[in-house]
Amino acid sequence: MTQETIQTAAGQRWAGRGTGGTTRPGKRRTGIVRRPKIGMLFVMPAFVFVAVFVLFPLGFAIYMSLTNWPLIGAYHFSGVHNYAALGKDPGFIHSVLFTLLYTGIVTVPILVVGYGLAVLIRSNRRGSVFLRTAFFLPYVIGLPTLSYIILLELQPNSGAVNWVLARLHITNGATAWLVNTNLALAATCILVIWFASGLTMVLLLGAMQGISDDLYESADVLGASWWEKERYVTLPLVRPTIALSLIISIIGSFLAFNQFFILTQGGPGTSTFTVVMWIYQTAFVQLHVGAAAAMSVVLIAVVGVISFVQFLLLRSNT
Amino acid sequence: MPAAPIGHRRSPRPRTGALLLVPLLVPLLGAAAGLAGCATPAPPVDVNESGFGDNATGVVQFWDRNTTSPFGKLLVDRFNATHTNLKVVLTPVQDTQYVTKLATAIRAGDAPDLVGIDDINSQLFIYHKVFTDLTPLVSALPEKDKLSPAALNLTTEDGRYYGTPYVADMSVLWYSRTLFRRAGLDPGKPPASYAQILSDARKITALGHGIYGFAFPGRCEGCLGFTLLPDIWATGKRLLYGQPGHETAFVEGNAPLRQTLALYRQLWTEGLSDPESQVETGTTWGKDFVAGKVGMMPLAYGPIAAAPASFRSQLGMTLLPAPGGGATATFDGGANFGIPLGSRNPSGAWEFIKFALQQAQQSLAPSAGFEPVRSDVLTPRFRSQYPFAAAMLAGQSRGYAPKTIVYNITFNQPGGPWLNMFTAAVFDGDIAAAIRAGQAGFNTAIDLGKS
Repeated sequence: MTQETIQTAAGQRWAGRGTGGTTRPGKRRTGIVRRPKIGMLFVMPAFVFVAVFVLFPLGFAIYMSLTNWPLIGAYHFSGVHNYAALGKDPGFIHSVLFTLLYTGIVTVPILVVGYGLAVLIRSNRRGSVFLRTAFFLPYVIGLPTLSYIILLELQPNSGAVNWVLARLHITNGATAWLVNTNLALAATCILVIWFASGLTMVLLLGAMQGISDDLYESADVLGASWWEKERYVTLPLVRPTIALSLIISIIGSFLAFNQFFILTQGGPGTSTFTVVMWIYQTAFVQLHVGAAAAMSVVLIAVVGVISFVQFLLLRSNT
Repeated sequence: MPAAPIGHRRSPRPRTGALLLVPLLVPLLGAAAGLAGCATPAPPVDVNESGFGDNATGVVQFWDRNTTSPFGKLLVDRFNATHTNLKVVLTPVQDTQYVTKLATAIRAGDAPDLVGIDDINSQLFIYHKVFTDLTPLVSALPEKDKLSPAALNLTTEDGRYYGTPYVADMSVLWYSRTLFRRAGLDPGKPPASYAQILSDARKITALGHGIYGFAFPGRCEGCLGFTLLPDIWATGKRLLYGQPGHETAFVEGNAPLRQTLALYRQLWTEGLSDPESQVETGTTWGKDFVAGKVGMMPLAYGPIAAAPASFRSQLGMTLLPAPGGGATATFDGGANFGIPLGSRNPSGAWEFIKFALQQAQQSLAPSAGFEPVRSDVLTPRFRSQYPFAAAMLAGQSRGYAPKTIVYNITFNQPGGPWLNMFTAAVFDGDIAAAIRAGQAGFNTAIDLGKS
């Protein structure tokens, strides 16, 4: 403590010298001086994990992207050839555009439906717990399993979707959903909105339940309607959670793979290839792991930039 | 940062700063490790040393495809029961992942000792020089001249052998004699031309009650290549020409291809094909035929071998016909053996290969749904026990399989040019446009596959 006091005083004296008379409390340098080793020890396991499973493979991938790394056989260094070739790869460009389209379609509905579900179940009425479980269950089951279920249910003549549509006299029950680009995209978007809105609901529910009831009581006293309460009390306070949900949802959509791989395998033709599917195709079908590594590095950079921008735009100003 | 006052220690911030460099160094280390780890090639195998493939000891790691693993398991069980010092361990690998898994294992230095690879993928690994040269051993095999010529051809490069045939899986046209009789057709006269397929299909579909004359797996690119290509080969034409690594595609102007697409288009539009044909991905291939609801279907032997004996006994079979008739052909598919570089027990692997190629073992192939790869298995006893497999084995000398490194990328991909062309021609209807797009698609895919 004595050392700290001396340092504080010294800091004030020297700060005064350097900054023309203003004094400010000295920084607590003793904390850093005394505890770096113990602090680093605590952080070490997590750091090793990240280094081994994230940083090391990332470095390897960057290296691979600078070679012509084939899946079978010898490789040689090729510099930035893979990156330059990306612009001339129509499959890659199409997959980027398709992924952007898909992200654009599903992001807002996931948020709106998730928010709506959270509003629906945030009170502790009878049945709320059951509804919470029911709405969150798709997320727990997981997208690959859901995709396989939907794959069967979308079959013409035998699947539940067509059966219901035929009973409602909307179609004749023989729609082959997955062999038509627009129908397959529509079905997949509905599947993903159903799947992801559960997570959004749970995140927003947590945020909403953390809002103090006093604020709502004050709003009631002022005669606010339900919508005004929602807009001026709830929304601003759950804004960070909305930002988080949006970031998770957008990153998830950028990295979409499971649902399209299982439902359409990128077909008909190559019309429903997403970026990650195209990376997979390039690496494991065309056997060009180097080119795929370059695509992956570009994807990482794009996702990183978009997440950063989102954080900036959606951060709370209070 | 203000200079430290006299008498006080300098702030330790530089140490923290140095620590921040570590997360940047780790990726560089990763890159360096990648360079070092994957630059060392596997040691070569000396197949000429005496005693190679005789009385080997230890364990042999054998990777087989899921499809052929029933036969693989049969062989491995018989081998392990009769060999005390050498054990074979079978690992089935999913067909669609086989090339990827094997390539990554070889790259990682963790290759299996023995592989049973789809025969049309053999060239891919041989071309990239990752299979062991077995020439002196194969040349010394007593049964070498009896082995399937098409399959053996796929193991060669520049006159040297880099593998052997393992088991055969051939495509033929099956037809139900019961349905033929019911439709007023002669059950002893199998369809021998496209005109006959159409007229027979019309009569069978006219029976109604959910019966169709024909069926095909419209979303299974591998199955379609397996069953449609022989129709084209029967005319003497092919889709791929040129040596491995220098392939060209003959799609536009390929008359038998156009006629084949036109046939399937007509079978679809006239309602002569099972509606499932549009969505069948291959997982339930042949299901409706085996259920007795389809009159004719190109198929492998597997679904038939698994069907009840009562169904099999009324079946007829013919090799796949040319569009105008007068010739037939079959896809000599199946699997080949190979010993990857990096194999830890190549001697044991060769001992198992010799065992698997013996007559006693090969004659068991039909019990697992396949055909043998040696013609001298065709004894009267074999003929009476497995009449269909015997008929297919008899046609093996007329079988063909494309020797190329681009089959996987052109024919066996869901987004590939083959399936795109088939779907556009048969379900969308514009055959000429589909063929034009197909030629472009094949050209692009071949360029990608060769580079």
